[in-house]
Amino acid sequence: MQEFNVTFKPQGRSVRVARGSDILSAAIKCGILLNAACGGEGLCGKCRVVIEKGKFKADSSRFISEAEREKGAALACQTIIESDIEVLIPKESIGLHENLSHDAEEFTKGETLKQEAIYKFSPLVRKVYLELPKPTADDNLSDLDRIVRDLETKIEHIRIQAKLTSVTHLGDVLRESDFKVTASLAYIDGALEILAIEPGDTSKNNFGLAFDIGTTTVAGQLVDLNTKDILGTRIAFNKQSAFGSDVITRIIYASEPGGLAQLCGAVLDNINEMIDDLTCEHKVGLGDISCITFAGNMTMMHLLLKIDPSNIRKAPYVPTTTSFSSMHASEVGVDINPKGMAAFLPGVSTYVGGDIVAGVLACGLAQQDDMTLLADIGTNGEIVLGNKEWMIGAAASAGPAFEGSGLSHGMKAVKGAAQKVDIDEALNVKVGTIGGAKPKGICGSGYIDLLCRMLKRKVIGKDGKIRRDIKSNRVRKGETTYEFVVAFASETDIGRDIVITEDDIENLKRSKGAIYSAIITLLNKVEKDIGEVRKIYIAGGFGNYLNIENSVYIGLFPDIDRSVYQFIGNSSLAGARMSLESHEAFLRAHEICKNITYIDLSSEPNYMDEYVASLFFPHTDIGRFPSIR
Amino acid sequence: MALSGLDIYKQLPKTNCKECGFATCLAFAMALAQKKVSLDKCPHVTAAARLLLESASQPPMKLVTIGTGGSKIEIGNETVMYRHEQKFFHPAAIGFLAEDTLSDDELAKKVAEIDKLKFERVGQQIGVDLICVKASSGNKDRFAAVVKKVVSQSGLNIALFADAASTGEALKVCKEKRPLIICDEPSSIDDFIKLSKDNSLPLAVSAKSLDEAAQLTDRAKNAGVGEIVINLECRSIAKRIQDFTFARRSALRKNFRPLGYPVIAFTDSDDPDLELAEAISYVVKYAGIVIVKNTDKDYIFPLLVARQDIYQDPQKPVQVEPKIYEIGKVSKSSPVLVTTNFSITYFTVAGEVEASKIPSYLIACDAEGMSVLTAWAAEKFTAEKIADTLKTGGIADIVAHRKVVIPGYVSVLSGKLEEVSGWKVSVGPKEASGITNFLRSLK
Repeated sequence: MQEFNVTFKPQGRSVRVARGSDILSAAIKCGILLNAACGGEGLCGKCRVVIEKGKFKADSSRFISEAEREKGAALACQTIIESDIEVLIPKESIGLHENLSHDAEEFTKGETLKQEAIYKFSPLVRKVYLELPKPTADDNLSDLDRIVRDLETKIEHIRIQAKLTSVTHLGDVLRESDFKVTASLAYIDGALEILAIEPGDTSKNNFGLAFDIGTTTVAGQLVDLNTKDILGTRIAFNKQSAFGSDVITRIIYASEPGGLAQLCGAVLDNINEMIDDLTCEHKVGLGDISCITFAGNMTMMHLLLKIDPSNIRKAPYVPTTTSFSSMHASEVGVDINPKGMAAFLPGVSTYVGGDIVAGVLACGLAQQDDMTLLADIGTNGEIVLGNKEWMIGAAASAGPAFEGSGLSHGMKAVKGAAQKVDIDEALNVKVGTIGGAKPKGICGSGYIDLLCRMLKRKVIGKDGKIRRDIKSNRVRKGETTYEFVVAFASETDIGRDIVITEDDIENLKRSKGAIYSAIITLLNKVEKDIGEVRKIYIAGGFGNYLNIENSVYIGLFPDIDRSVYQFIGNSSLAGARMSLESHEAFLRAHEICKNITYIDLSSEPNYMDEYVASLFFPHTDIGRFPSIR
Repeated sequence: MALSGLDIYKQLPKTNCKECGFATCLAFAMALAQKKVSLDKCPHVTAAARLLLESASQPPMKLVTIGTGGSKIEIGNETVMYRHEQKFFHPAAIGFLAEDTLSDDELAKKVAEIDKLKFERVGQQIGVDLICVKASSGNKDRFAAVVKKVVSQSGLNIALFADAASTGEALKVCKEKRPLIICDEPSSIDDFIKLSKDNSLPLAVSAKSLDEAAQLTDRAKNAGVGEIVINLECRSIAKRIQDFTFARRSALRKNFRPLGYPVIAFTDSDDPDLELAEAISYVVKYAGIVIVKNTDKDYIFPLLVARQDIYQDPQKPVQVEPKIYEIGKVSKSSPVLVTTNFSITYFTVAGEVEASKIPSYLIACDAEGMSVLTAWAAEKFTAEKIADTLKTGGIADIVAHRKVVIPGYVSVLSGKLEEVSGWKVSVGPKEASGITNFLRSLK
């Protein structure tokens, strides 16, 4: 078969592909992941490339104007390679492969650290060094019983057990090491299970990993299980995004032949790459990683463990399982010690998963005397309300707007994203980006600031419509609706104007309305007033910045004393880490999970009324926002 | 005072044993607070807690059954003041007044007219429920004879509105039908209580005021009558609606038991138009039974429609008929757009298409009344379904081209749809606001 050479710039990588291949698959083949929210169907327009040399065939697309087309612009997924070819990838078309590292501190400040200290440090997998007495005619206990006897003197009040498969070579190991060995012990179902016996003293080398598997973002941390130090954190975009940006598209994809395996493989790639990166940097041997914990939404857990997720999207929305028993790491397919343990935070229901249970664990809601609220703002806004006596939880389909998806210039909270926006009276816009560079787009916290400023400067009315009578070159009629220019092409990193359109505002309005009305509906459900809530934790993928004042101003959160609010970042990852570090915390997560009562908002008669009433900035009932006039 | 879900939860064992069928004790408590479940479902509740929760586990408004078998009617047991809070459960019974002073011919003619009042609307059968025979002749034998004629001629349920003696006489010919007996005079309440108890029949008490009604229902209840209806003989229509509202509110909001019964309303107006308006007002504002005089189907149909609408579950999405809609002066070359049959979705899209001034065919696909993304997520708006509509819905015979526009939010369907339908698919805008520009760009 005829093959062509494809070269990608600026990466400088090239690959040989068969005739008839498209550019998107060529890029995947050489390890470059382009944005492809629609899964390579030519529908999202995010995988735009420029062909600099070579022949190709491409259908016309509404995302590319005739003028751009003449300059070689095309959608990678819709372009068939017909000769050797050179392709330039613009910055905004890349995103999925970027491995972003954050300082661990950014995720672990404040409340979650305080909660962490509550639980006794007792890692899910611990290593114990043993110097055993050698067997004699009088002391002729079996090798395994000898180990158990010694362990029982060191660890009290817990049954110790072993699977036969873990001890088949025990005889050799003990004798070759002169009966000086290290046992790896895992907390499983109320007992300590011997995972492995290694020769010599390796107890100093015990490491663990905590992962948050999100629909859009995967985050992982490497922890030293002797010192409790967080060695490093990695964040990456979920590679499953190449098969669709939302869970429904992925569930549909999973039902196609080989689809489930592909989706599972994609996220395993994410995880293993991050493990590789973290262990290299911190010089940790893969064999010394004895435990990995996962928190994620129900669909992500199903896909990771290759469990058929198809019923999750069909009424009455029943998952195959909400809890996942611990297993060997090798069964999951993650590259740590194959005898190491993989453990999973349990979930409550299809839409209240292990990630939010981890969040409740991390913020300590389940131990509070006072009524407390946790809102995790993601594609599904998950909300838990309660205290140590009771908890109710719900999920509001907020849409991915606050994660920067589905908007004209939305992007994740990564380098180059506008996260702070200010507008002065003359309508000059000041943009602060993550990393301080020129903006590539706007992330969730940036949109919140932007909406708030546009409202304050009366660029938009309370209905979210841009005022037509403003004389400014920033306000103009765009392709479909009016739009406001946040940054002109010369100020951006993408060579085009960054704008917010009325459709974007509408989208954001629905997202904020869904979150706000879910909070109010939960309060109504228990006949409580927002004023009775003593603490509100906000979690989510806003990066490390979220302006609560501005969030209230646009009506995302209720208008109460701001000191009640606390932004705690990625609480799902924090909960996964706490479970890794303390089996007591892991047990608590299971208790929390049992005690959350799931409220299905779609069957709550008043939710729709609340939702519709909140489709205004800040709300149709301004009396609920007394501090905003 | 009704207990909240949390109040009830505090009395429960909090073990989350799931034996009640709910995932948690709190979920059960909330269902109990909404009267959706009975406390008996919890096998572990303590006796002390049971006593406390008794009031919360009882419906605030009694269910009353008139008639037997398939044609019986159930009224009362409502749980909300406003339909949008949840829904209204038991449609008001619609009945007709037949006085025993009518001649036999007049009576036969009237009953025959009433029996014909059956209609079909939006796929549902709607009809009238009962005939209320009233003693105006002063002759108890005549009353019993008229009741007998009505019973033999019509299958509808019966209400008897007479003095105790006449009622007793009439029951000899109709008690198997489990009629509602209406006590016409507070002074004879004890006779009626006896009739009700002896025959285990629902009893309506007539009173001049709510206070009097509360005394009478209390008396009947204490004497052992289970199913009670209140008949308020007010001086005006406005006063009656006010009192009905007050009674419902006291029962539901204050848990005031003596008014926790359905009410029966008789129309005052003689003018047919006014009577219709009056009857509809009673249906909307809390009557369990409405008795009218007019039997003209042109007046009864709108009354039944009003009842059907107000008792419809507001949580079920309103749908438009799934079919091809022509917008503007369409021709063989007009564009074809598809969307779902959720009414808000349809009307939003149709409005924008109309505003574009480009004549188009808009197909509302049957997606069980869901909006585009919801229907797609729930597998109700799939490529196969749209293809099937294109093939069998008749559009292929109407237009000369084979091009279809799908909503931007389901752009993922485009490839599959082209494959299974053979039509050329273009992806429209996500928001309806983009339709005008989009249609213009189609050329």
